[in-house]
Amino acid sequence: MSTPARPHRSIFEPPAIGQMSLATKIVLYSVLIGWSLFVLFPVYWLLITSFKEATAVNEGPFFIPWVDFQPSLHAWKELFVIDYADTLRAYFNSIIISLAATALSVLVGSMAAYALSRVEYAPNLITILFFVALLALVAVSVGVWGIDWRLAAAVGVALFFFLARAVGNLYQVRLQNGDILFWIISQRILAPIVVVVPIYMMFQSVRMLDTHLAIILTYTVVNMPIVVWLMYDFFNSIPRDLEESAQLDGATMIGIFREIVLPLSRAGLAATTLLVMILSWNEYLLALFLSTSRAQTMPILVAAMNAGERGILWWTMSVAIIVMIIPVVVLAVILQKYISKGLLVGAVKG
Amino acid sequence: MPNQTEETRGTTKTISIRDLNKFYGSFHALKDFSIDVEAGEFLVLLGPSGCGKSTALRMIAGLESISSGTLQIGEQDATNVLPKYRDIAMVFQSYALYPHKTVAENIGFPLKVAKTPKAEMDAAVRAAAEQVELGELLDRLPGQLSGGQRQRVALARAIIRRPSVFLMDEPLSNLDAKLRGNMRAELKRMQSELGITTIYVTHDQIEAMTLAHRVAIMKDGELQQLATPKEVYSQPANLFVAGFMGSPPMNFLEGGVVNGEFGTEESRFALPGAPDTAHAVVGFRPEDCTLVAPGAGLVDARVYTVEMTGDLVLVTLELGGAHLVVKMDKDFEIDTDVTAGIAVQPDNLFLFDGNSGDRVDWTGPRS
Ligand SMILES: Nc1ncnc2c1ncn2[C@@H]1O[C@H](COP(=O)(O)OP(=O)(O)O)[C@@H](O)[C@H]1O
Ligand SMILES: [Mg+2]
Repeated sequence: MSTPARPHRSIFEPPAIGQMSLATKIVLYSVLIGWSLFVLFPVYWLLITSFKEATAVNEGPFFIPWVDFQPSLHAWKELFVIDYADTLRAYFNSIIISLAATALSVLVGSMAAYALSRVEYAPNLITILFFVALLALVAVSVGVWGIDWRLAAAVGVALFFFLARAVGNLYQVRLQNGDILFWIISQRILAPIVVVVPIYMMFQSVRMLDTHLAIILTYTVVNMPIVVWLMYDFFNSIPRDLEESAQLDGATMIGIFREIVLPLSRAGLAATTLLVMILSWNEYLLALFLSTSRAQTMPILVAAMNAGERGILWWTMSVAIIVMIIPVVVLAVILQKYISKGLLVGAVKG
Repeated sequence: MPNQTEETRGTTKTISIRDLNKFYGSFHALKDFSIDVEAGEFLVLLGPSGCGKSTALRMIAGLESISSGTLQIGEQDATNVLPKYRDIAMVFQSYALYPHKTVAENIGFPLKVAKTPKAEMDAAVRAAAEQVELGELLDRLPGQLSGGQRQRVALARAIIRRPSVFLMDEPLSNLDAKLRGNMRAELKRMQSELGITTIYVTHDQIEAMTLAHRVAIMKDGELQQLATPKEVYSQPANLFVAGFMGSPPMNFLEGGVVNGEFGTEESRFALPGAPDTAHAVVGFRPEDCTLVAPGAGLVDARVYTVEMTGDLVLVTLELGGAHLVVKMDKDFEIDTDVTAGIAVQPDNLFLFDGNSGDRVDWTGPRS
């Protein structure tokens, strides 16, 4: 029974670097270094462009500062001294909006994902259809026929309960968690361009255009499906046994969440947060519609730089992009230590 | 029947299960399940995979809602009591160790949530770890342990709180055969020392026979028989139990009884006193029969295979498409494809009603 364990590895598992032959090592490192250069070069290009004068850009390509061209701070000055009010406003808008939208969507979305992964829902399809139909009816009767909204809402609610009770029980077509999840994800399948005009008009009618809140809410809703999707998978990968065992051992709901679920989902939360943060940070289309000046974000500012009468301002654009990259890199560095795999090893046998 | 000392009595509790039913949608997973477990008893739920053992156990734990029926733990009605108020410790099939906590933290978790003082908790963790021989591994993470060690951590976490009831769901099923044998013996000893009422789920009849005070055999969500291991073996309630217990399982011959004579298509033999039926099944265990010369036994059959297992020889014979197994001495030799007689003592024959599958008592009670 107890034959000594023979070290073995699967076909696709590479040997540790220390065990490689010299030739393999050289090939491996050259490929890795080559790829790194390939990936990092655009960043380098961006960096030096931000220090170039117009002539250095137009007569280039020049690659090495002080050798090829004389670096200058003029673009940085333009953004942070001359136009500092606009730049900093857009910068802080971006930070506030991204952070708030990320926090909101991760908070709400992961709670929804946890519920979907742990509670079995069985809503009746007929009841949902009634709800949607009556909602539409109320909207039409208020908007088109000019009926008092209180009356319409009251009649709608009454009708809903009546129909749900009377007819809902006759047709028992039950949805399941998978259906709910798909519905949530399907909200993201719809390209934002499709809904941008309705969203614009909606915020226009409540006079919230060009406010932070409008953009935050929109981003939250747009990112929610991604959070739910990712976190659902993640919570599902945490064995239920762990929570049930803790429950039997006397832990409270909050205790279980704090002691078991939260530590184990840290990696998923970190990855999701980072992804949603980046998506919000880079979002352009919705911001273009929803902000004009006060709530303008960085992507809008950058885009505006190639539309002026002075031609494309590569240098200031590079500066803006560099400062845009910084927060994302900082966040990634903070979060990357949580994004480690293999956290669940040992939870269950096998 | 349960082996109990005066001190442990009182901390441990009886469990009374009445007409428990479980429906998953329209699927009836547990049917009118009723058992009274004595205080300190080691009860084993035994049955094939998917028969509802885990469902029953989880309902007792409170992890699964009870569709109908009542559950009483000690004097208290627990039907609708939250799991954490049932004072139950459970060892999961998966062990359910917290992967981000060390062995010590895992074992101490029940005490931590009960807000036990640190010093007391450390002492208890140490004692529990000693009991399952895990003393040196307290600072490891579960991922760094072997299967057997993880199993011990799960066990230590269950015993540390001294609950009134233990529930175990196939705790040994993922260990290799040798380790399983050792752990089985240790479990049995631990349970009798602690004297805590235990319900243990397994699909392994050897585990059931060796561990249980009483075995509850289940099939398709229904309780088939509740009796001591000995009774289950020597007085199986029906064909299913007879065929499930013992390895290899009981041999069966299908036929009918006419005038005290049992007849199949191939052969007939006397079954004095057996009631006449058109459809009956006669059973006998491989260990209760021997091979004799053709015509000298109950039936004749053709030798199909001969297997040497080390301590004995298993001879499989073919009769009318059915296979019959006979356990012989380790020195026994026979060629395949020859015909041999199978001899069985009359009081080692079991008779079952061919329609209901229930055992028919025809020679009076057995020992
Ligand atoms: N949550 C569930 N939903 C639907 N069916 C289930 C669920 N849990 C178990 N079952 C079904 O109930 C039956 C009994 O399951 P289980 O108690 O786990 O069997 P066992 O532990 O005896 O192998 C199986 O047929 C299984 O498919
Ligand atoms: Mg099971």
